Amino acid sequence: MSDLKHLLKIILTLVVVTAVSAGLLAGANLLTAPIIARQQEEEYRAALQEYFPQAADYKRENLEGDAFDLVYDAAGGLLGVMASTAVQGYGGPISYNLAVDKEGRIVGLRIVEHSETQGVGDVIEKSQFQQQFIGKGYRDPLKPGEDVDTVSGATISTSSLIESIRSLLTVVAENFLQLEDEEAIDISAVPDGTYRGTGEGLFDKIVVDVTVAGGRITVIEIVEHSETPTYMAEAAALIPPQIIDQQSLDVDTKTGATGSSNGIVEAVRDALIRALNPEGGENNEE
Amino acid sequence: MKNSYLADITRGIFKENPTFRLVLGMCPTLAVTVLVKNGLGMGLAVVAVLTCSNIVISSLRRFIPEQVRIPCYIVIIATFVSIVEMVLQAFVPSLYAALGVFVPLIVVNCIILGRAEAFAGKQPVLRSLCDGIGSGLGFTLGLLLLSLVREVFGNGTLLAETNYAVQLFGPNFEPMRLLAQPAGAFLVLGLLLALTNIVFKRLQIE
Repeated sequence: MSDLKHLLKIILTLVVVTAVSAGLLAGANLLTAPIIARQQEEEYRAALQEYFPQAADYKRENLEGDAFDLVYDAAGGLLGVMASTAVQGYGGPISYNLAVDKEGRIVGLRIVEHSETQGVGDVIEKSQFQQQFIGKGYRDPLKPGEDVDTVSGATISTSSLIESIRSLLTVVAENFLQLEDEEAIDISAVPDGTYRGTGEGLFDKIVVDVTVAGGRITVIEIVEHSETPTYMAEAAALIPPQIIDQQSLDVDTKTGATGSSNGIVEAVRDALIRALNPEGGENNEE
Repeated sequence: MKNSYLADITRGIFKENPTFRLVLGMCPTLAVTVLVKNGLGMGLAVVAVLTCSNIVISSLRRFIPEQVRIPCYIVIIATFVSIVEMVLQAFVPSLYAALGVFVPLIVVNCIILGRAEAFAGKQPVLRSLCDGIGSGLGFTLGLLLLSLVREVFGNGTLLAETNYAVQLFGPNFEPMRLLAQPAGAFLVLGLLLALTNIVFKRLQIE
């Protein structure tokens, strides 16, 4: 009997202790949760204001689970986008904000929360690391070792963040800033002449000669290719006339020979870029 | 009787200093002491938790059955740690961010359970309160010394990330990065332990 009593006492003690504890925690949470939420909101707003000093208003949009704030100035003009997302780092998710101006350049990076290793992976919080992203555009490669650097010893933390920033930047540029994937080329600025350019076809490179006269593309000649002849014939019959007709590279390449068609457009673009920058084209000899 | 309360406080700071004499609670000691701000913040968080848990455990010591005292202690400690965590996040978010995972880990800090088991579970409330303050301050002192050495030599600053930050050396100073790394924490701790051992021996406090 006394055994049972003792057992009951043990159970009762544990129940009471945990119940009181739960009550206290609920109370503390009730008191602090709104403060914490307000604080995080304030920090976010302060960062937004810092990245977009003229910001007067913003509109939240959600896409694939990430939040995008379209930031407007007092006159209602779009200033840029502040995106919030999270990526899996080394020690857990890294949640961050990325501020992008309306030309698709990064103007701010802010790590909100992370669980990376203290003293190692937490370099992602350091401005030295973050600063290298500022000014990068959506056309920049944003590749480790190329134009941004990982931090050795913290490779996973830094490279996963870089990768995530690159794709987030593309999402922002394409979905909210309506920026074309590639630079528009001002054909009228191209001096008269014939220019050679190369593009990647389905199998190998495609070489074209583009003749410009009076600020207009007049002739596109395919010099070299390794595409399947029948497909290439189709692409060659469709794409150059379209480009010449519209004087634009923004042509429909979904032809049934899409790989070859894209290659031709790329080659023409390359030729025009070389024409505009005689010093060094995009696909210069390497 | 007053002297006994005072003795309860000073014992935790010197004779039974958790860091240098008992060598307890090494995980946060080694991990967060990169900057003075973090060391001090962690120390004070432990003071708060330790004092509160000592009071509660001491006042409940007659009601908690022997067999389940450890789970009860842990729940009580965890409650206070969680409250401290929420308070830190709400009012000192930068410190909360810096201490990171080590705030919740206060729950398993040996000093707190150690004081609960060795002292608060047997002694009256007021003495437990004094013991909590003393041991907490002793722990804070240990963290403070360790973080001071590591920040000054490993980072070249004093009170970095606060309003009173000072850059101690010229721009050409190359800090001993090793000291800011975990391995550096062990080295500094070992040296400080040796130093305090000598001091205690000389003063014959043993």
